[in-house]
Amino acid sequence: MELRQRHLAFWAIFIVGLYLMPELVSKGTLRTMIFACYLAIFAVSWDLLSGRTGYISFGHPFLIGIGAYTTAILTKRFDVAVEISIPIAVLVTMIGGLVVLLPALRIKGSYFALVTLAFMELMYQLVQVIRPDLTGGTRGMSGIETLTRGAVNGYYLAVTLMVILTFAAWLLMRTRLGTALWAVGMNEESVRGSGLSSTKLKMFAFLASAFTAGIGGAFYVHYLGSIAPRALFDINFLFTILVAALIGGAGSIIGPVFGAFFLVFLLEWLRPWLPGAERYFIYGGIALLVYMYQPKGMVAILESLYSRFWRARS
Amino acid sequence: MTAAIEVRNLVKRFGGLVATNNLSFDLDEGESLGLIGPNGAGKTTVFAQIMGELAQTSGTIRFKGQEISGLSTSERISRGISRTYQVPRPFTELTVRENIRVGLMPNNIRQLVFGATDRVQEERFAESVGFNLRNLDRSAAELSMGDLRKLEFARTLATGAKTLLLDEIFAGLTTGEIAMIADLIKQLRRQGFTFLIVSHDLPAITPLVDRVIAIELGALLAEGTMSEVLANEDVRASYLGES
Repeated sequence: MELRQRHLAFWAIFIVGLYLMPELVSKGTLRTMIFACYLAIFAVSWDLLSGRTGYISFGHPFLIGIGAYTTAILTKRFDVAVEISIPIAVLVTMIGGLVVLLPALRIKGSYFALVTLAFMELMYQLVQVIRPDLTGGTRGMSGIETLTRGAVNGYYLAVTLMVILTFAAWLLMRTRLGTALWAVGMNEESVRGSGLSSTKLKMFAFLASAFTAGIGGAFYVHYLGSIAPRALFDINFLFTILVAALIGGAGSIIGPVFGAFFLVFLLEWLRPWLPGAERYFIYGGIALLVYMYQPKGMVAILESLYSRFWRARS
Repeated sequence: MTAAIEVRNLVKRFGGLVATNNLSFDLDEGESLGLIGPNGAGKTTVFAQIMGELAQTSGTIRFKGQEISGLSTSERISRGISRTYQVPRPFTELTVRENIRVGLMPNNIRQLVFGATDRVQEERFAESVGFNLRNLDRSAAELSMGDLRKLEFARTLATGAKTLLLDEIFAGLTTGEIAMIADLIKQLRRQGFTFLIVSHDLPAITPLVDRVIAIELGALLAEGTMSEVLANEDVRASYLGES
């Protein structure tokens, strides 16, 4: 079997396996997997921006929050149909993506990361203070319309969204645009010196990232049926997204999906022994180990094991 | 002959330092002009201003008769000027082929997504600077300084520009590689390319240039053929250290 066919077969089995999960695992595990799917969407969204272009965003919940709050407010307070509120939420999130782009036109590195962190903090404070009658203030909102009933349907929706968004992002990154975005992350001046507008490329990356975060945020809030600012803008939530992308393999698009599933199940597995926030120390340590052993993440480790396996067989 | 590049009264100040001091020169289409001067004379700063990487304090830069001072670097490249850098700037995690591919890319998102890669062109540019086709999938991080320079030249050629500014293109190359790049420059000149070449390797650039301008502290010192400029007393004093 050719390498390309083997890859296709692997992914086909993986996706079929995901769709068979409701037949194989408990409802509780399915709920964990739903969170893993949404976390994977958020991590892929982060990867489209930061993993590729090197503009490390510490404020991704800012974008997810725009998507989630926009659709929550539209449906709950203005009785807008979900089919309309979600596209509007995605559009508004993309505008938010352009707002995050503005500092990226001037600054990079740790300065950019800190500015994005400030965006997240700003959003956290704003939703609590400005018009709490709309946002629900510190308590957030509950009773938001849900799109599905039960864990099984929720799982199918989440996994379908994750597969479609990840596949679309993966396809996009396999084009010359993906190479150009990699190049921006390596040497932006050389990109300009090669005749490409780095501003245009960055704008695309920010919009694509915001689009994905907006869809993820909007659908997630309609799965949960509630929104709580303290959970959404919690620093641990931000780190979970970042660590999922980093230990999975930043820049690879597929890696963050593995990273998300690995992290969510690790946290669940640790819960009986470490029910509190101390679990995050463990995953921090594991992330550090993976990163020290293979900075390109789990996806590089899996690829190496996979090619070793086929070499040994042949 | 029409001027490809016309630089008039170019001034660049960094605070109190005058890096380019009222510099004027023409580069005719199809011509090859050498830009020489001691270290710190401001040669690379001139390149950076022509490419729009640095904004000049005053003065004008025209390309084919049109003022280009307000244009971005990518817009200048699309008009037909491109440059190599004194210190090569490769995309280290990309392969040789992918580095050249970046130079070939159109500045258009739609075309970047839906257009196909042109492997034949990539190989043509790689071969033109002396890469063995078997090495195209090597990472740029593994290349020697000589190969990095060749890669940069290939990527610059791939942009499609016909007016090329070459900054120390021979530094770090072996004698054989210098001869090969020199042959390529001669061949490109026959195809109508225009060159502005900065190099400290005067024997290497002498057969490649029609004229030379020498600068010191950003100001024009002498202009003429290589032998005329090297015979100039001011040039000998500043550049060759003779008094």
